[in-house]
Order: sequence, then C-alpha cells, then structure tokens
Amino acid sequence: MKNIIKYANLLIVVLLLASCEDFLDVNVDPNNPTVVTPELVLPVAQKYSANLIQATDGGGRRANTIGNMLMYNWSQSDGFAWYPDEFKYNVTSSFYTGIFSNSYTQSLKQYQILTQLDEKFDNYKAIGMIMKAYHFQLLVDFYGDVPYTEALLRKENATPVYDDAAFIYEDLVVQLSAAIEVINNAPSSAVVPGTDDIMFGGDMTEWIKFANTVKLRIGVRSSNSAVISEAFAQSEGFITSDVLVNPGYSKDAGKQNPFWNLYGADESETLTLTSKATCATDFVITYLQNTADARIDYLYEKPATGHLGVVQGLLDYDTPVVDAYIPENVSNIGPGLLKSETMGACIFTLAESYFNQAEAVLSQGGDAQSLYESGIEASFDYLGASGASGYYAQPVANVSWANSSNKLEAIITQKWIATNGITAEQSWFDYNRTGYPSNLPVSSQASTSDRPVRLYYPASELSSNGGNVPSQPDAFTAKIFWAN
Amino acid sequence: MKTKFNGLLTLLLVLMVQVTFAQKKTVTGTVTDASGPLPGVTVLIKGTNTGTQTDFDGNYSISVKEGDILKFSYIGMNTTEKIVGTSNQINVTMNESAQALEEVVVTALGIKREKREVTYQTQKVSDESLTVVAPTRAASALAGKVAGLQINVQDNGVNPSSQIILRGLRSVSGSNSALIVIDGSVSTQGAFDDLNPLDIANISVLKGATAAALYGSNAGNGALIVTTKKGSFGGKLKVGINTSYTAETVAYLPKFQSEYGTGWEGAYDAVENTNWGPRFDGTLRQIGPTFPADYGLATQMVPYAPVKNNMLDFFETGDTFNNTVYLSGSNEDSSFYVSVGDQRSDGIVPDDTYKRNTFRVNASKKIGDVTLTASTSFFNDETDVVGGSIGDQDRPLYWFILNTATNIPLTDYKDWQNPLGYGYADNYFNAYYQNPYWAIGTNRNTDETSRFVGNFNISWDIKEWLNFTARIAANNAWGNGKNWRAAQEYNADLQPAAGAVSSFVTDSEFQSAIYNGDFLFSGNFEFEDDFTLKSILGGNVYQSKYRTSSIRANNLSIPDFYDISNGTGTPATNADGNEKRSFGFFADLTFGYKNYLFLNLAGRNDWTSTLASDSNSYFYPSVGVSFVFTDAIEALQNNDILNYGKLTYSNSTVYSDLDPYRINESYFQSGGFPYGSINGFELGGTSIDANIAKEKINTNEIGLNLGFFNSRVSLDASYFNTVTSDLITFTTPSVASASTRFLTNIGELEGNGIELSLSGTVLKSEDFSWDLNINYTSSETKVNSIKEGLDEIAVTTTGQYGVYAVVGEAFPQIKANVYQRDPQGRIIVDGTSGHPLTEETLQNMGKTTPDYILGFNSVVNYKGFTLSGTLDYRTGHVYYEQGSDAMEFTGRSIASVSANRQDFVIPNSVIETSPGVYSENTNVQVAGGRQNYWTDVYNDVKSNYVKDATALKLREIALSYSLPKDVLDKIKLTKVTFGLIGRNLFTKLPEENRFSDPEFNNTNSNAIGIGGYFQSPPTKSFGFNVNVEF
Repeated sequence: MKNIIKYANLLIVVLLLASCEDFLDVNVDPNNPTVVTPELVLPVAQKYSANLIQATDGGGRRANTIGNMLMYNWSQSDGFAWYPDEFKYNVTSSFYTGIFSNSYTQSLKQYQILTQLDEKFDNYKAIGMIMKAYHFQLLVDFYGDVPYTEALLRKENATPVYDDAAFIYEDLVVQLSAAIEVINNAPSSAVVPGTDDIMFGGDMTEWIKFANTVKLRIGVRSSNSAVISEAFAQSEGFITSDVLVNPGYSKDAGKQNPFWNLYGADESETLTLTSKATCATDFVITYLQNTADARIDYLYEKPATGHLGVVQGLLDYDTPVVDAYIPENVSNIGPGLLKSETMGACIFTLAESYFNQAEAVLSQGGDAQSLYESGIEASFDYLGASGASGYYAQPVANVSWANSSNKLEAIITQKWIATNGITAEQSWFDYNRTGYPSNLPVSSQASTSDRPVRLYYPASELSSNGGNVPSQPDAFTAKIFWAN
Repeated sequence: MKTKFNGLLTLLLVLMVQVTFAQKKTVTGTVTDASGPLPGVTVLIKGTNTGTQTDFDGNYSISVKEGDILKFSYIGMNTTEKIVGTSNQINVTMNESAQALEEVVVTALGIKREKREVTYQTQKVSDESLTVVAPTRAASALAGKVAGLQINVQDNGVNPSSQIILRGLRSVSGSNSALIVIDGSVSTQGAFDDLNPLDIANISVLKGATAAALYGSNAGNGALIVTTKKGSFGGKLKVGINTSYTAETVAYLPKFQSEYGTGWEGAYDAVENTNWGPRFDGTLRQIGPTFPADYGLATQMVPYAPVKNNMLDFFETGDTFNNTVYLSGSNEDSSFYVSVGDQRSDGIVPDDTYKRNTFRVNASKKIGDVTLTASTSFFNDETDVVGGSIGDQDRPLYWFILNTATNIPLTDYKDWQNPLGYGYADNYFNAYYQNPYWAIGTNRNTDETSRFVGNFNISWDIKEWLNFTARIAANNAWGNGKNWRAAQEYNADLQPAAGAVSSFVTDSEFQSAIYNGDFLFSGNFEFEDDFTLKSILGGNVYQSKYRTSSIRANNLSIPDFYDISNGTGTPATNADGNEKRSFGFFADLTFGYKNYLFLNLAGRNDWTSTLASDSNSYFYPSVGVSFVFTDAIEALQNNDILNYGKLTYSNSTVYSDLDPYRINESYFQSGGFPYGSINGFELGGTSIDANIAKEKINTNEIGLNLGFFNSRVSLDASYFNTVTSDLITFTTPSVASASTRFLTNIGELEGNGIELSLSGTVLKSEDFSWDLNINYTSSETKVNSIKEGLDEIAVTTTGQYGVYAVVGEAFPQIKANVYQRDPQGRIIVDGTSGHPLTEETLQNMGKTTPDYILGFNSVVNYKGFTLSGTLDYRTGHVYYEQGSDAMEFTGRSIASVSANRQDFVIPNSVIETSPGVYSENTNVQVAGGRQNYWTDVYNDVKSNYVKDATALKLREIALSYSLPKDVLDKIKLTKVTFGLIGRNLFTKLPEENRFSDPEFNNTNSNAIGIGGYFQSPPTKSFGFNVNVEF
C-alpha cells in the first residue's frame, strides 16, 4: 500500500513537472501583437496629428477650437451652454489639457517609434523627425517650456525634465535639417512609404518641402533671420498645397473627418449638437461684410434671414428679441470648412505658408506683395470661394497690399481670416506676438482686458511630474519667449 | 523545501508501518445521536491508530481485545469512551458538544477541523441566517453578519452586483475581492451570485490570508468557503417547496429644491430641462413647443408649481416571485439533494424584467472505503432592461428622469407612441432630453447567460487515519446579449434644438471556462504521549480561459428590425480573450499536544503562467498556534463563568501574480482603423517595468475566543496587521513619457484592524429565546510608501477629483479641488468677481472605506414565532456624489437656491488685499448668482460633492411562524413556515448626503467611492415567504 501511494504521488508530481514548461506557456496575448511594422505605425501617428489640430474622434476640442474661441471667430447660439470656460478665458490646469497629453501619448509616441528605426527605414525615420518637430513647436507655442530631451522615453523616464522653450526651438531647426539629410542620404534599398503615408503618399520631396515649411514657421515666429535664410536656401522650397491628412475618412461611425464629425453631422447625416451650438461672432461677420469678403459665405453658413453673429459670451439671448439667436437664425460654421465627412483634415494651410514667407521677406526688407496675395488666393481656394483678386484689389487697409500702411498688420490680419476654422491656433500665436488683428474684442464674460497668452500645464503633470513641472506662469501675462 | 517534503514523506511511511497485532475479537454496535443513527463516527482503539468508521446506518464493527478502550469521536459531538468487556456489542449514544468552540470549521480545501485546532479566525453563516429574507443573491445576505466582512451592494437593478471585501484593501491596482470557494474548489464571484441561496448549506468565512493560504496566490484577500446542501441523512425522503414574493419600491430619491422651475437665466422657458426659471407662482403656463392651430393637439399648459412626487411616480413597484422545489434523501450508502429554482422579477423601471432558473443535483455514493460525491448546478438567466446609452448624448435612463423639472407632470407622458400625445417625440416638452417613457420603449439591453458548475470529488479512506481525496471542478459560463436603440428624428419646427438620435444594434457573446483540479492526502496520527499530528499533502492545477466578442451595426435601414445585417456602413467588431494557468503543491501539518495546544505549519509553492519563466515560481509559508488555555490551566478548568478560552496567533506570506499578458508591452489596432485598406496599430498606453514581479502580502493575526456560561455567550476578538509590499501597481507617469500608465512593483500598504463578534442568548425559557449577535469591524489601510519622488497614485481621476493612494493617508482616498482658504479657514474670494479662488492642487478629502462597521443580528423566538433582523451601521468615510455634480447644471440642487438666486456675498469670505493679508469680504458679491455662479463656479469646486458616507441600514427584518409538531403530524407535513420579510426597509443617511446610497459604486474595482449617477435610485422591498416540507 505504502509503495502504491508513494509511487502514485511521485508519478503525479513527475508528470506535472515534466509538462509544466509547456503547460505554463500560454502567456502570449492572442489579441495584441508585440511587434508591428512601420507601415502600421505611421498612419496612426498622422491621424493623431490631425486629431490634435481639429478634434478627437470622440469630439474632444483641440487646437483649432481654442484658436477660434480666443480669436473671436466663434460664438454660441441660444439654447446651449457649450463653451463656458472658453468664454470666461478660464485657463486652468484642466482647460484644453488634451493638447498637451495627446501630443505626447498619441502622435509623438508613434513618431518616436519611427525615429528609432534602422537605415532600412530611413524615410520613415525622417518623417518621424519632421513630425516630431512640427508637434514640439506647437507644444512650445501653447505652453513654453515643455519636456523635450527626456520626453517619450516611456518606462525609462516617467518624470522627464522640462526644457527651455528657446532651446527646444533651436534644436527643432537642427532636427529638421537632419531629417532632410536622412532623406537625401537614404540608401536606395530604404523602404519608401506608400499609401500608408496619409499625408504625402510617400513623396519624399514633399516631405522635404514640408520640413522646410515648418522650419520657416519656426524662424518667423522666433524672428530668427538665420533660420529664415536657411529655409529660403533650401532648393526644394516650401509646400505647394494645403497639408491634409486623410487615412480614408468615410461616412461611418468613428471614421469621419474629425472636424466634420464634431462641427458637422454624424454618420447618419444628423447635425451634431455642437454644429447647432457653434456660430459666428458679431465682430467677425461685420468685419467680413465691411471688407466685402466673399469668404463669409464659406466660413459661415448663411441663414435665410441673412448672416447673424452673436456677441461672444452672451448671457441673455432673449433680449430684446426672443429666440433671435436660436441655431436657425445665426451663422453656423460654413460649407467652406465643412466640405464633407471624407475631406482631408488640414494640419498646415498653404495660405499660412505664403503669409509666413511674406512676413519673412518683409522682415528682410523685400517686397512681399505677391506672397501676400498668393496667401489670400490660397485661402479662397481652400474654402472654394472665388474672386480673390477682386477682393484684394479693394482700396481697403489690411485687404489690399498697397492700401495697408502697416504691412505686418495686413499679413497677420489676413492670416487670421485664412486660418479661421482651419488652424486658428496659429492666429492666436500671431496675436500674442504682434497684437494683430487690431481691435479684436474680448469675450463679454472675460474678467480680463485681453485674451490669455498661453495655456496652463495639465493637472496630471502637477501630480505625476511635480518635481519638474514649472509653477504655472500667469496665463495672461507670461508670454511665450517669442512674443516678448 | 524539497528535502523538507522528502522528510515528511518518510515520516508518513514510518507511521504507516506502525501497526500492532494481538489476540482479537470482533465487537459490533450502533452509534446514534438524538436524531437517529450517526454515520461517519470515528471508532478508534485508544492509544493506537487502529479504528474504523460507522456506516450510513451508524453501525460499526471492529477487532479488539478485552480491556481496550474504544474512543468514539465525531466532529461537533462530545467524544465518548467505552471499555471493551465481555460483550460483543457496544451501542453508543453521542451528545452534541455543549461548547460552541467545538463546532466544525470548514477550512481551506474543504477540510473539516474542530474549531479548537484552528489557528486563525473564521466565522460561519448558517443557511437559516442566509435565507431569512429570501434574498436573490447570497452576497447581499451576508452584510452585517460577519465581523471583518464588507459587502457593498453596488446597485439595485434587477440583476444587482456586489463587492465582497474582507479586512479592507490590500492592493492598489490588484483585486481586493475575497476568494470564492464552492464545494472545495476555487470558483468565481459570478458562480456565487448565480447560486440559488436556498441551495447553500453554510458559508464559512476565512478572514485572513493565513486561513486561505493553501489556496495559493488568490488567497491574499481571504475566502468565502461555500458548501452546498448534500442531502439529509436518515433515510426519509424530504420534499420541500419554498415560495416567496417581494415587492420592491424606491426607498428614497435625491432631495431637490422645489422653489424654481423650468427656465434659463431667471426667465421662464417652456422647453428647458433646467430649473433656472423664475420662482414658482402657480400660474398656468405653456410647457413644451407651441403647436399650430390645426395640429390636433393643444399646446400644453400646466400650473407653474411643484408636482408632488413627479419623479417618484415614474418608478413602479417591482415584483419578485421566487419558487424553489427541493428533494433530498439518503439510504445507507448514498445521499442526494436536488433542487429547481425559478425567479421572475419586474424592476422598478417600467418594462425591466429578469428571469432566472437554477438547477442543482448533488449526490454522493459510498462504495467500500471510497466515497464519490458530485455537486452540479446549472443556471440560466434572461435580463431585459432599458439600454444604457440613450438619446443623442448616450446617457443612462436616470439622467432623463432627473432632467425633468419639479413642475412637470412626468407620468402624463406615458403615451409616447401617439402622434397626438404629449409624450410623442415631437410634442415632448423637453427640447434637450427625451421622454424617459420613449427611452424605455426604444432602447433595450437584453442578455442571456448560462452557467454550468460541476464538482466531482473522490474520497478514499485508505486507512482510518489516512485519506486520499481528488477533486475536479469545471465552472463554465457563456452568454450572449443584444443591445439596441431605435432612430428618432424630429420635426424641426416643433423641436429645433433636439438632436436626432441614431440607431444601432450590438450583438455580443462571451465564454468563460475555469477548470480546477486538486488532490490531497490527509493523515491523522495519535501518539501515545499526548501528541497528535494532522497532515495534508497535496497539489492543485488551475486553468481559466475567457473569450468575448461583439459586433455593432449603426444606422439601421429597416425600423424596429435589430439584426447586424440591417446596419449601414462598416460594422464595428471586437474580440478579446485571455488564458491563465497555474499549478502548485502544498503541505499542511498541525501538531497537537493534549488537545489544547496546536502548532500549524503550512507551505505552498506555485508556478504561474503570467510571470516571466525565470521568476514564475514562489513559495509561501504560514505558521500558526492555537492554545485552549481553559483546558491547559488547571485553575481555569470546570469554570462556570469562563468555560472556554482560546488564544491564536498566525503569520503567513502570500504572493499575488499578474493578470495574463501583462509582462510584455503590446500594440493594438488604433481607433477608427482600418480605413479601407489602410490599417494602423498603436503602441499601448501602458509601459511595463522590465522586472515586473509578484506582489507580497504578509499577515499577522492574533485571536481570542471566549465562551461564557457554558458557551451561552461567546466573544471572538481578533487583531490583524497586513503589509503588502512590492505592490503590482499602475502608476501614472508624466504623459510626456508617452505612456499613461506604468506597471511596476512599488510601495507598501499596511492594514490594521480589530474585529469583535459577541454572540449570545440573552434570554431563554421554554417558549421564549432571544439570540443576539453583534459584530464590530474597524480597519484601516494606510499607504506607507510609494517610491522616491512619488507620493500618490491615481486609481481614477478626472483631474478635478478622483480616487487616489496617497502616502501617509488611508486608502482609498478621495481627492478633489477645494476653495482657497486663509489661515482662519475663511474662503478667499476674488476682489472683483466675488468668486471663490480654488487651490491649484487637489486636496485629500477622506477615505472611502468606513472607520468601522457595526452589525446587529437579533433572533427572537416565541413558541412558533421567530422575529429576526439585521442592522448595519458604517461611518467615518466619504463618497463622491457624482449625481449631484452632474445635476448642478440643471439648477435643481438645494445649494442653488441657498441665496435665492441672487448675487450674494459668500458667507465668511475674505479678500487678499496684499500677500498674506486678508480682510473680511462684506460687500463683493458673486456675479451670476442667478445661474452662472452655480453652473460654472460652484460646480467647478468638486469638494462640494464629497459627502459623508455614513449609513444606518435595516438590511433585513423577518417575522415567521412555524406550525407546531402536533399540528404538522395531523396534516402529515414535516414543516410549514410562513414569513413576512423586508429588505432595506429603513435607511438613515446624514443630512448632507442628499443624493443616493453611498454604497453604490460605478465599478467593481478599487475606485471605491464614486457613484450615484449611473445607478437607479435605492430600493426597499417587502414580501412574504412560505416553506412547506413533506
């Protein structure tokens, strides 16, 4: 008996131990891969770049929206309490924090993977470097000092230090030049992206132009003549069309163009509440009407009763006329911005590129008129409006080049119109730097005389990176370094 | 350790050959107790290991020699000794042990032990106590009955869920729920919830990690050992019917203001969901859209005055019918228990229904020395409730009810399908949120789940002192669900602001399979010099597999046809699954000395699939001592006051492993992808420590069990200290690191607590008795450390409030943003706007587990009447009233009328005139007191919604009557009991908690303390119960 038990016991133990290697070998996730190829990483990164500018797929407001709100482009129709913090300029550590967090945790996370590839994927690597520069400039423009040299290291550094904003700007120029070098020196065997590059379809010359265009944006914003000269010296020049991201947006839930999805209609063609809630301000309607700007009907939907804007931050919508500002009566976002659910999502307008060149040429004493007018034409083209040349021929200041005594004001004011509803955050950065357009009203709910000049670091940084995050600078006075 | 095992084996073998031979004769006899023959009684020749057991009829037969002493022992009975004389027949009548401490304890792995041997604290809940108010879930019936056990009933739906926590929390990111063991095999809370409570024989609660350590890595949170009914012995077939009916109604609703009605910015608005209108004046006013003259329906006019109970009347009385038929019986070598249960419920929300059927077959058969036992159950339920993502904003139903102003006669809108009724979508008064009756008719969530549990056990009494048991258990659950929403478009002339609702249908299914195998040898040895040894050697294999998938189609082409084929565009699909395996070996040795001193040594080694192969093995030891001092110390023996006293100490170390697939970072298909042929994968947000390893839990426990007045009164007391280190924790790195969570081993949690359980018979006479049990639990878990430079971890957070682990504070801790205050505690306001300033960083607001839980259980018997009740009081904790927060926007809160909707000076506020200098604010009023202050400023200070979670609940009360035996004999029945039952009939909450039951919680995770928005209002129920046995 004892032997039977002993052997039975031993037998069970031996059998179990012998097979345990295999028995326990079930820890491979069947639903999530641990290795993927660059072709699968790139389109996600680029789609997130578009989301950061336009809106998240879930309708989270991002750069374009805060730009439109702070630059008095958009207001709110009756029946909604949609933008209370925007109208109060309530810049807090929970205000538009997605711009900070999504930059790092979505697009930059993916681009970082590309920058670590070997030379077989030099083209992907260069794209990663260029797009990192694009995003870090945005981060600096919104926040000033941000994590840069120690950022994106995941488990290797959970608490990256904050780098000096001006230093980051300088390094971005170096990185953009390096990226162009990587493209030019890529081995012939290097894989060239195809349709997975949902910005330029793998056209590496376009990437060089885009890198150079971003470099010029950096040079102009920081008034750095050396960088400006470097950009103008690049033989490929600048972008020649609007930079659009389009993975193949379709009229399906979760697959629509994110701007359309938030400010237009859902996949069943039902107008979103945000589309009803959002409309033009009084000031912008009047401005466009006074300058006989044909873009008005493209930037804003014209109600049957004619264009009507709403004072930003209005509290009493029913005085003197009840229901005057219900969605049907006001100028909601227009068809030039809301083209279709499948339209590409813009992350850099051709118009802005021209205006940046114009400002650069102006700063170096050149004649910027044709660049200025090309910018206006590009803006008309984007919106689908016609009559640009007639528009800028009007003898009106900040419309016609000749009639503009302050050329810089004309450029920046036109950039304000050209980025309206597309990349309006750029207009806010320019305002903080130049103070143009002049006489732009502040929200009626603002408790300050002017708009904020920066965003606050998110609360998550205070709790998770408290040792490094700078104390919150004053949102209304602590300008980003290039605005001083 | 290997050598130690070998040593034990050798010891076993040496003892096995120690058999003596002498001149023998055969003695036979029958052992009985008060109720008849007693099977399974151990008959031993004293001083030897030779013996036998009585059969199913209580008979035994044994070879002895004259002069031997036969020792008859049975757990729960007084041991009896008889000297073998000349007679060849010795019949014995055994008496139930008077001492409560002799009661049987079902310990880990289903092993029964006398309570005196047990070196840790356990508490048993009987079937009577579990089913006194005919609960549909056993978990809810445990609340208040066991010291150290916290049951959080998280919602009151027709298919409620609860969280079962023993001795507070031990882990920040890992599970803190108690292990569930059913009929000896590790099971799941799902299987526990699916049990028919009437099938449960008893639940033994093993409170600490030591008690459960033999179960391996799942045991750190203590365990509930559930034993199902096995069949009554005694030969008679028993047939019983148990019928109950309960009516469920809303217990209480949030307290709202009733001074102001529909409107915006102080002006009346006929289509508003918000309550920012003028003060109620009783005048007849238009409500809803203006209909054209030829519309066929007059524009609705209602008095501008509060409608009493307008929300309460929306909810119906829910009904639950519960019927169980059971059979049980036995003969000399077999027993069985069979039951069929049927529950049908209608919820308090109109049209919510729930049906469930339970079947159980338990049987055992003895063949020679081998006993085969099978316990099998099948469960099936069908749930049909209102969908959870209603309207164009995907809100829960309660939201639509809450967004109905006090002046709206909500129950007038039932007729939602009639185009000429006020409930019709185009005609409904509320321009922003749809008619809840419409929501019920057009949004459904249906679900069908089945579960099969099979538990097969073979027990071989190799020798009287040696048993081999093997057990295999299967726990399979599967189900499918369909969730759908109808489309709704609006006539823009009538409903200009309404957002059209899109349609969808989601089909989902899941399968879960858990297999668990155990084998164990247990040997009991008695040595001549007062020493005993009980030993267990065994092993365990475990495997769990889970798989789920769903497919969703949007914008259906054919109305009211809910099939994936009816969708347009690309359906969204999802599939997910996981698998985990482990095995382990264990040994458990209990040395006894003179039956009053016991030393227990136990150890287990586990290997798990979820850790890296070089670190997937871990050993955990435990040690315990039990000392029955009333037996050991002569002066204390035969003491009439203190008749029993036991002191225990135990220590154990247990490890927790990871969830499957956690050791490698992985990619996932990014949202929205694929777009046509473009696919995209994204690196997961979680970064993982390359050296991620197991979490360690070390527990010390001291216990004292006292019996007074012949155990009429008993007191159990325990103190425990639990330290969890190397916490497997998701920390929150800077988002700039490109990850949102970091999985690592850091920090230390320490839990300390005291449990007291006082039970006794207060009064006892022939016809009357009153038994009382009071449980007191006080425990707190503190965060000792996290890591250098990191002093908190967010379990969940919105940035303005959340649940955190904070160094030096109790866990879980609610943090929220707060007003800035001067050194005297006065609120600092802005000198211009009068608005309060808020602190930049979130502040600790309090813990979400109570300081203490006090449970009262009382049973009064008078003749055939029994009155029993369970009361439970919890205090010292806070919760986040998410519903109040969400409702502030609508102007329905009592706070919003506290200044009569005027601009006002915040009481006791100051203005900072120069740095550090504060002057009292006497004249700067807040702007927007009419509305915007409340919606935009007050609502942004989330500490306003952190409330005292204290609650006193009369969880159970029942009055029953059982027919006396003489009447039963006449009508040829063995048992007839009628009962009136009530659940949660009374709840007392502090004045400041105006919203909901603080026990409600959004998730079953460690984010305890945020609730009240997604759950329907709390309910109470009342009904009756009839039990008849033939």
